[in-house]
Amino acid sequence: MADSPILVQTAPPARIITPTMLIALVILGGWLVTALAASAIAPYDPDAIDIMNMLSPPSAAHWFGTDQVGRDVFSRVLFASRVDLLLCVVGVLPPLLIGTTIGLLSGYFGGVVDNVFMRIYDLTVAFPFFVLVLAIVGVLGPGLLNFILALTLVGWVSYARLVRAQVLTIRESEYIQAAKCLGYQPATILSHHVLPNAVGPVIAYAVSDAVLVMLAGASFGFLGMGAQPPLAEWGVMIADGQAFVQQAWWICLFPGLAAISLGLGFALLGDGLGLLQRKGVTA
Amino acid sequence: MSGLETSKPPLLEVKDLSVSFGGFAAVKNVSFTLQPGEILGIVGESGSGKSVTCRAVMRLLAATARAEGTVALDGRDLLTLSEDELCAVRGRDIGMIFQNPASHLDPLRRIGQQVAAPMIRHLGIGKREGLQRAVKLLEDVGIYEPEKRARSYPHEFSGGMKQRAMIAAAIGCQPKLLIADEPTTALDVTVQARILELLKELNRKTGLAMILISHDLGVVADICSRVVVMRNGEVVEQGPIDDVINRPRHPYTRLLIESQPGRKSYGTAGGPDRGTPLLSVENLSVTFPAGQGLLGGFGSSNSFRALDGVDLEINTGETVGIVGESGSGKSTLARSIIRLNTPSGGAIRLDGQDVGALGGEALTAFRRRVQMVFQNPYDSLNPRMTIAEAVAEPIWRHGIADRKAARKEADALLEMVELPSSLRDRKPQQLSGGQCQRVGLARALALKPQLLIADEITSALDVTTQAQILELLVRLQRERSLTLLYISHDLAVVSSLCQRVYVFKAGRVVEQGVARQVLSAPRDPYTQALVGALARLPSAGTIPLHNRS
Amino acid sequence: MSLLQLIARRLLQLIGVLAGISLVTFLLVHMAPGDPARLMAGERASPETIAAIRSQYGLDLPLWRQFLTYLTNLVSGDIGLSLRFQRPVSQLIEQFMWPTLFLTGYVLCLAIPPTVALAILGARRPGGIADQIIRLVGIAGLTIPVFWLGIMMSRFFGVSLGWFPVSGYGTGFAGHLHHLFLPALSTAIWLVPVLTQSLRAALIEKTTADFVTAARAQGATERQIFWQTMLPNAVLPTLNLLGVMVAFMIGGAIIVETVYAVPGLGTLMVNALLGRDYYVVQGLTLIFAVSTVLITLMVDLLTAFIDPRVRL
Repeated sequence: MADSPILVQTAPPARIITPTMLIALVILGGWLVTALAASAIAPYDPDAIDIMNMLSPPSAAHWFGTDQVGRDVFSRVLFASRVDLLLCVVGVLPPLLIGTTIGLLSGYFGGVVDNVFMRIYDLTVAFPFFVLVLAIVGVLGPGLLNFILALTLVGWVSYARLVRAQVLTIRESEYIQAAKCLGYQPATILSHHVLPNAVGPVIAYAVSDAVLVMLAGASFGFLGMGAQPPLAEWGVMIADGQAFVQQAWWICLFPGLAAISLGLGFALLGDGLGLLQRKGVTA
Repeated sequence: MSGLETSKPPLLEVKDLSVSFGGFAAVKNVSFTLQPGEILGIVGESGSGKSVTCRAVMRLLAATARAEGTVALDGRDLLTLSEDELCAVRGRDIGMIFQNPASHLDPLRRIGQQVAAPMIRHLGIGKREGLQRAVKLLEDVGIYEPEKRARSYPHEFSGGMKQRAMIAAAIGCQPKLLIADEPTTALDVTVQARILELLKELNRKTGLAMILISHDLGVVADICSRVVVMRNGEVVEQGPIDDVINRPRHPYTRLLIESQPGRKSYGTAGGPDRGTPLLSVENLSVTFPAGQGLLGGFGSSNSFRALDGVDLEINTGETVGIVGESGSGKSTLARSIIRLNTPSGGAIRLDGQDVGALGGEALTAFRRRVQMVFQNPYDSLNPRMTIAEAVAEPIWRHGIADRKAARKEADALLEMVELPSSLRDRKPQQLSGGQCQRVGLARALALKPQLLIADEITSALDVTTQAQILELLVRLQRERSLTLLYISHDLAVVSSLCQRVYVFKAGRVVEQGVARQVLSAPRDPYTQALVGALARLPSAGTIPLHNRS
Repeated sequence: MSLLQLIARRLLQLIGVLAGISLVTFLLVHMAPGDPARLMAGERASPETIAAIRSQYGLDLPLWRQFLTYLTNLVSGDIGLSLRFQRPVSQLIEQFMWPTLFLTGYVLCLAIPPTVALAILGARRPGGIADQIIRLVGIAGLTIPVFWLGIMMSRFFGVSLGWFPVSGYGTGFAGHLHHLFLPALSTAIWLVPVLTQSLRAALIEKTTADFVTAARAQGATERQIFWQTMLPNAVLPTLNLLGVMVAFMIGGAIIVETVYAVPGLGTLMVNALLGRDYYVVQGLTLIFAVSTVLITLMVDLLTAFIDPRVRL
């Protein structure tokens, strides 16, 4: 209290890989290996029904117990990582690519394209994200593919908005004016001078966005609008287990923990990247 | 040395003050004294520790900073005060104003409230009386319609008015000492002159003692009676202003004085040859849509004229200067010449050819003939590229050489601007401001242009660095027989460098002519004001100061 | 210039956005693959029935005529008819909206105090132990699936401990508070980290702001600086985020309401989606969007009230 407590300004050490980022990379690497080698690691067939062992609690034979039709929860959690990890990638990449391209063009050239884009942006943010995606999936019909489609349809806008904001500042910077003055082609300026300087925050955002995509994917699975049973997906598994949660808490608990750990991996990585970005900018 | 002055006890005595951040010593064993009623200047370049010293006096440094030594105000050591005692001194006994008045005012509170706050806090007066006194203070510091202005928010004030408001807030409690940290650096020269005048008047009328921190020896010489020169956290020299300026003892002080803009005439390449001009600007007008507004503007038809019927000529081999304050349109002109702005009227001709009509091959040829160096050292280089890449890029992109040969050429160019080859693979952030400007010069010269436009290329640099860059520019101009268009807010620099000058105001040319003449016998009232506002060293009196009103 | 002008301008802009929203919701239903009339009539309907439905709903008209009809209906307050309940969607919404509104307010009451407390605690010593913990817990909080948390909490607090009911809305104010505690808590647990991050970052940014230094130089105490200078300046970005989040929460309510069987708009939405009751989906999407727009407008006006620069 004595020594002006709010004044302290200690910046975390400026290393490229911070400890938290290392943890994030270990988590993500672990899940990647798990997803790729699920069939080798998993002790049981994830879809094998075993009526004799319905709802049995965690034991040496079934580490995470079994579900209402006797499937091994541990094996299902492992196999589900394939779906959920893939979901993160497929759910992020198309909006990222489309949004970055549109944001780049609309921010750099301005004019009519930019005006149209801004109106689309205004309109899209008028809808709650989840509601709009849900409504589109609902109308197109439940399923993973339609979920990704709806996600792309709605999601590109935030990427475009972010890139556009970046480009608007970069466009006014003197190195871009210098590039124009040196007679470089617009395509060259965009790809070699604007994009490399605009892309950092977008990557950081995309990694954090993977968390949202995964959570949305699991939520849609839970609501029956995303992955469809009997496909092993964490959200679907939790939904399946909800009815039995009073007797068999393990059916729900473990897929949820799995989702949290994967999400934590992406979130920590995104946080670290964002921190690096902010430092890079101020340095 | 100060035997005569110690007849009175000093108001402020700083003794062996050292400040360190972690392991870095920012200020080392600094000592100086300040007598009541005196104005002391502390001069130094960036990193000299002059601001840190004054913030240490006010104990405004981050908690990571360690300050040692004594700072005695009327015999009371400020460094040992408790937080509560300190709050009673700050703003009461010592007032402070800062470099950037815009960011030092709370954007959410009215000016009147902010001026009144210290008085309400320290003098125990009520809100209403505080506001009344604030209005009076605003009037005292030269703000028109003070009652109305007290209800304004900071963003409704101009830069000079904001600084006046800061001063009003600082002197409200009638402190014994005012610390002014670069109070005029962010302001235009004519505004700077008026603020300095205000400070002098305060000193004269109320006997308020001041410490003025500045990078500008001219400003310090203008209003201070004594000066402390600092470099790298140490005091290199101190004494009465006339002694220090006329008989500097330390080599650094001498360098600082010699680097003052206008001290040195560069005698640029031979007289203008009167032929057809290389570049001519005819009746050029540029308008920008104004009032974009919050929502993209609903048909706001009013627009802003950045340039209004400007005529200008540059002959081959000539150095032409353009002088003006912010908003005068001088940068707009530069941007229009290199086709970054589209003129709304008039024409720009290079060798008689309309620049605006160029396209394809002709435009590429134009790009090679006309190049520009920009203002901001760091912003003008792509942060993702090494400096060698940045200099080589135009060469291979224009197909003058392949990438490998371009790299070689770039090395030669970097050597030409006196950058050691060990720096070639660095990125801009790893260089100093002066080094970045050298890279900018090398890049602009990579295409071997005829006409080089330099837009405020030294305004972000320290004076000694500025002198070096100007030196380099003059050398390059001679060696490469460049035609130079030099744009600056600093009349002194322009007149020492250029043969002819154009004075810009609000988008128009108000005066033009041979540099010496414009500086010595300005005809236009605005140019007269500019010349009058030049804060120059007393001994730099090649031109007598007059018209100081 | 003035607040009034700003409001007028925002209202003008609102009309454009509302028109856009109605276009999107209109297209939403017409984007659906297959013949809407067949979907409405069911798989085994006769061609005559389908034709009848088509002309009853105006589905045989050109698209722009249908949109015009839709717009006209909207203006007169008619946002469609539920196929399943055979009742106007507006009636359904009126019936189901109270639990959702109550839940939203409840979440805000639960979320804002800890947000402010945690952000201040973190910003007092950036990089300190408390700050690091708050930051990491905040990141972790973001990754918890709300529906999973809901199920787990209802199992623990509801079933094992029996402290709170695990479903329904209850009766009377106290009943609502009791019934909606777990749903509100699970949403708040997700909301607090987001807001805390924002407010903490803004506070830390303002600790080094020049006007804070200036206030200190004028003799303001740390307490005065914090409450009078830093907090008002730091609260603006968080206020904007809060607006976005309230809109987000309306979406999030869908899941929480489903988990806890709260008879709110979210439950209505999910049931409509699963039952292919398209006009209810359409009407709800419209209402969600309009409320989002209104919330954003309110936040903007509040921002303008605090920050004079916005009123330019």
